[in-house]
Amino acid sequence: MSGAERIRVGLEAAGVTLAASVPDTWIGSLMTAVRASKKIRAVDVAREEEAVAVACGANLAGGRGAVLIQNAGLLNCGGILAGLVELYRIPCFFIVSLRGDVRDPVYYHAPKGRVTEATLGAWRLPHAMADHAGDLAAQVGRGVEFAAESRGPFVLLISGEDLD
Amino acid sequence: MTGRKPFLDALVDALAKEDVLVSCLGANARWLPHMNVTVPVFALCDSMGAAVPLALGIALSRPERHVIALEGDGSLLMSPNVLATAAAARPANLTIVLWVNGHYESSGGQALPAAPVDWPALARASGIASAETVGEPAGLAPALDRARLRDGPAVLVLPIAFDPAEQIPPYSERPEEIRARFTL
Repeated sequence: MSGAERIRVGLEAAGVTLAASVPDTWIGSLMTAVRASKKIRAVDVAREEEAVAVACGANLAGGRGAVLIQNAGLLNCGGILAGLVELYRIPCFFIVSLRGDVRDPVYYHAPKGRVTEATLGAWRLPHAMADHAGDLAAQVGRGVEFAAESRGPFVLLISGEDLD
Repeated sequence: MTGRKPFLDALVDALAKEDVLVSCLGANARWLPHMNVTVPVFALCDSMGAAVPLALGIALSRPERHVIALEGDGSLLMSPNVLATAAAARPANLTIVLWVNGHYESSGGQALPAAPVDWPALARASGIASAETVGEPAGLAPALDRARLRDGPAVLVLPIAFDPAEQIPPYSERPEEIRARFTL
């Protein structure tokens, strides 16, 4: 089973019912696996802030929403994280492709890679780095449960190698 | 041109038991707690542009409910992409009610960029086939009835008069209270 499929299994096992996404190369690959799920409604959105609100709507409606976006998109989301997720205390689980770290072969992502974890820290967003050598499904499950129990955000950062 | 409150009164009168209201920040969110609304309401006090995608997430998750997003022209101008997203998702149980007064009312009444946006045309160009202007409060209930019968999302555009002297109540509910009371 590929890493993308293991992540999908983790989302399903955690009771995620809706995945809202703006793709990049890596997230697009992950969404291909998610779309194969009979338990998760995949929702294609045009901007990452929309994905956050759509996922929050699913949570308000009794489901479990997840946001699958690139780190560039996460950097767009400061306002809605503060004004919706944090202000109303809505669970919101993110899977974010960490473009631009040392594992990323594409040079032009590097500036995003330099600021992503620092921004997560500055925004006080609970987060973890996925480890494809470990149990990816369990890492997803822990993130979803953390968001639910804390009634707030949780970000799982992934790299391309986590999807193989 | 009619002011906001008669349209809001007409909207509340036209609500059905399966309806859910999601309001953008501003005057509608501030008025609704002071009105006799018998359906669940989720009112934003921040996050311009979030009302429609929030309503979309609810609509996709609860197809037995009809979700009505109250959005302002300033908010939608900030993120018109939500129209295409809603069109692509095709929820038959989502109606977007767009309040058009050309001003950022909640931030002091500043004017929007002076562009004559054709909102129904923008909605249709984004893929929402059902988009109409409702010019009078009496037309809102039948327009909502038509929207409920569509097989995709609908947009109702309400041109309203901007009244800088309107006595809008202050926000009277905390976000935690709104969140706790919102159950479907």
